[in-house]
Amino acid sequence: MIKKIRHFFDYNKLILKIFLVLFFSIMTVSVLITYSGIRMSSNLFMDTFSITNTKVIKQIENQIDNFHQSIVRTAFEVEKDSELKRLLKSDYDNTREQAIYIYTLNQKVDHFYNNFYPNNVTMLLMNKRGEAFNANFNIWDPDDQVLLNHPITRQLDRSNNQIEFSLENSSLTNHKPMIIAGKALREASDESPYGYYFAAIKERDLRSFYEGFTSEGNNILLMAPNGKIISSNKKNYIGLSEPRLLSYANDLNEYQAEYRNIRVFDKDYTFLVKYLPSFGVYLINLVDQNLVAKNVINTNEILLISAFIVCISLFIAVLIIRRMTVPLSDLVNQISDMARYQFNKPLEVKGGYEARKIAESFNYMLNELHDYVKLLLRTQEKQRKAELKALQHQINPHFIYNTLASIKFMTQQGKIEEVSQTIESFIALLQHALTNIEETITVEQEIIHLKNYTKVNQSRYGDRIQVNFLVSPDSLECRLPKLVLQPFVENAFFHAFIKKKRGVIQILIAVKDNKLVCEVMDNGDGMDKEQRHSKEEQNKQLYSGIGIRNVDERIKLLYGNKYGVETKSELGIGTRVKITLPFIDS
Amino acid sequence: MLKNVFKRFSWLLGLALLITMLAACSEDDQTQGSANDSGDEGTSEFEGSLLAWAWDQNFNVAALEIAQNYFDEELKMEIVDSSSADIVQRLNAGLSSGTMKGMPNIVLIEDGRAQTFLRSYPNAFYPIGEYFNTDDFASYKIAPTSYDGKQYGLPFDTGVTGLFYRKDILEEAGYSEEDLQNITWGEYVDIAIEVKEKTGTAMISLDPNDLGIIRMMLQSAGSWYTTPDDEINIENNDALKLALENYKKLMDSEAVYMVSDWSNYIGSFNNGDAATVPTGNWMAPSIEQAESQAGLWRVAPIPRLDIDGAKNAANLGGSSWYVLNIDGKEKAAEFLGQTFGSNKDFYQDLVTEIGAIGTFKAASEGEAYQIEDDFFGGQKLIYKFSQWMEDIPQIDSGINTNGIEGILEAEMQNYLKGESLEDVLNNTQEQAENQFK
Repeated sequence: MIKKIRHFFDYNKLILKIFLVLFFSIMTVSVLITYSGIRMSSNLFMDTFSITNTKVIKQIENQIDNFHQSIVRTAFEVEKDSELKRLLKSDYDNTREQAIYIYTLNQKVDHFYNNFYPNNVTMLLMNKRGEAFNANFNIWDPDDQVLLNHPITRQLDRSNNQIEFSLENSSLTNHKPMIIAGKALREASDESPYGYYFAAIKERDLRSFYEGFTSEGNNILLMAPNGKIISSNKKNYIGLSEPRLLSYANDLNEYQAEYRNIRVFDKDYTFLVKYLPSFGVYLINLVDQNLVAKNVINTNEILLISAFIVCISLFIAVLIIRRMTVPLSDLVNQISDMARYQFNKPLEVKGGYEARKIAESFNYMLNELHDYVKLLLRTQEKQRKAELKALQHQINPHFIYNTLASIKFMTQQGKIEEVSQTIESFIALLQHALTNIEETITVEQEIIHLKNYTKVNQSRYGDRIQVNFLVSPDSLECRLPKLVLQPFVENAFFHAFIKKKRGVIQILIAVKDNKLVCEVMDNGDGMDKEQRHSKEEQNKQLYSGIGIRNVDERIKLLYGNKYGVETKSELGIGTRVKITLPFIDS
Repeated sequence: MLKNVFKRFSWLLGLALLITMLAACSEDDQTQGSANDSGDEGTSEFEGSLLAWAWDQNFNVAALEIAQNYFDEELKMEIVDSSSADIVQRLNAGLSSGTMKGMPNIVLIEDGRAQTFLRSYPNAFYPIGEYFNTDDFASYKIAPTSYDGKQYGLPFDTGVTGLFYRKDILEEAGYSEEDLQNITWGEYVDIAIEVKEKTGTAMISLDPNDLGIIRMMLQSAGSWYTTPDDEINIENNDALKLALENYKKLMDSEAVYMVSDWSNYIGSFNNGDAATVPTGNWMAPSIEQAESQAGLWRVAPIPRLDIDGAKNAANLGGSSWYVLNIDGKEKAAEFLGQTFGSNKDFYQDLVTEIGAIGTFKAASEGEAYQIEDDFFGGQKLIYKFSQWMEDIPQIDSGINTNGIEGILEAEMQNYLKGESLEDVLNNTQEQAENQFK
């Protein structure tokens, strides 16, 4: 299992490496680009957003200023109106006069009220007795005595002839948030108040000045200098005190900065502020960065697209790399397997251009190499054959010398008959060796030759070693290479009968399974393995240059591996050599 | 070979696939957008949300909300709550500019102002006569809600008036409950003087800027500031003369508690500063605010003018529903017809849940109308009002009521200061004719 995994990794090492490098570079690039893209667009968006919102704030400021203007203007007119002053200070004696008094004052209020912008503001005049004259009690309908004794009115008594704004959310305003502007109307002489002027707007309606500019996450609020939020499109902020917001507002106003990012109400906001000196309040714009950015920049979509692109490009990259590396890995594998196939199997030409070129060149080189090796082998073979040929046609001079010496002894002993036979055999041997230029001879010829050889040997050493020939008639016409059997016979003659002085050498030749099988057996000393080896090495060839050692080699060279020489030997029993040759009919 | 070609171009194929997918994404957005656009233009089958304008969260708006429960179909309705004056102003602004953008499907208009709109912008409203039967409603409601023979408004609440009075104070002055049934305004003034003298409590609280009491007097006699032909009818109007005389007598008697605005007005009787409140039935909840006075209040028919044919019944206030001639009008009319126009059970709910008395006559047969009100000593308040409602003389208030009343209010001051009644009426007639002819 582990081996398999290792093998897998070995096989895919290249592609894995390239993939990892690619993966990390693509990831890094896309993460960086995505991040910086989102950041840049967020920043750009916040910048433009701030610019727009600055304009929006300007516009709201104008609207609120207009509203404020109409409150202030009316306050001045009310103060200037001498008839009103007289009326507010005057009294009545009976119901009829009271009716006229009330009617006239209401007419006055209506007159001033006509100047008011916008129409969701109400205006109220009150005399020192607490009789209030209200222009639009649909908007605000306070109880006269409550208003007269309310801290707001008491504050006006003390205040410095200016218009005071306050947010009320009490029984005075029927528990609805309202912004009430108030001013004490004072005598020019001793500054004692003779009446009060009020203008009131529902917080809901004040909100309408700016509500159109707000949206989810884009909040506007008005904050009094004491940090109390008097109006906001976020209803739950109304009435809250947020000192941090106030300090931010002061800072920003002081440094004239365009905007800054802060954290209040547990959220990150971009914060714009404008002090409205007329009202004495801060107009604050809080932009929920996350929410707004989320609405405009779809981070998820960008991330999704990047991830998608990364996946696709990795997928494509892997495909391409695979197409390039798999053939390379294949090549490597095939090349490392080369030895197993004796360098005979050419590489498969496939894959990309590079891989194909490499395979082609490799195959070309392999072919060239093969051709060269073949040529070399053939040359060697030729050389060997030539050598053998030369050896075949050559008779060891010692053999000739020994034979001639034997003949001389026989002549001296007067064995004419034997001499003539020996010379006859010897002549036949010489003739056979020198004249027969063919490489192969028939079995019959070989037997004649072997008999001659035996005769020559027997004439020299006596006939204590008998040689029998058993040849199947159908093999007589077969051809076999020259001097294939002779070395084994010679071997038997000179080495098999050293301890035993007598024995028999049998030569069997037969056709078997479409092969020519020749056996040379002796019942001599026999040998063990070591002896056999050393003998094969040391033995001098007595008759020709071809020794037994060469025979097997020679047969294989001529006919292939199927054929050759087998030797069996046992100490004390004898040796048996089996020579297998192809059946070649002449 | 073919396989090889395919392999070679497979990555191109992948790229093409990617591009197509991205393109498909953005295409999706576009198709969605256009689908929304076409949705807005739907004309044949209205599926949007209806927009309604009404005032008074606890009364008219609540009535609309209850009505939705009685409508068969699934209905989306957005109700905008603003003041009556606001609605008038916004309607005027919208209708005079001619664009119906942002206008509501259903709007509540006070009966006294309806004619102004119907006559100025008849095409802006959708006649809804065929969605209900006008005979099912109190007859006095039909004139103000129709124009040129077509029914435009669906009558809603009644302004039927009654005389709320403090039984304890009047008994202290020597008046029994019977003494207050079906009296004339002259008798009322006499009683007022007596009550003030004997108990020190004012009989009535009045705002000099509100001539509601004059209207009630006029209507009881079937008379108005104008004739049905929109002629100014002041100078020779006997009913008006009598009404003004009664008014002045009341003012001179010191039996009046003067108020200058609405909260003062409510406070006057809640604090026990006034013994009677002659006004519309809708005042009952405000009277009931003074829990300490439970059981002390009674209601009697509104006094009538001492003129032949005058009835002890009059109307003050009240409003009706109108449908604007814009997309969704059929749906809106169907909605009104099925609920306010014909459903008796719905009116029982209106009475029990918000105390609104409709002008649908069959409604008074229901059980809710028979409820005895302990605050008013066990009187069947709702039932009484619904009975008086049917007696209200029908008058056509025309389009100049508010204007004429403004002039009359100013002239009234002169009358109170001592000018003769003839001069006051002549001046008023003259000014009104100058202004409205």
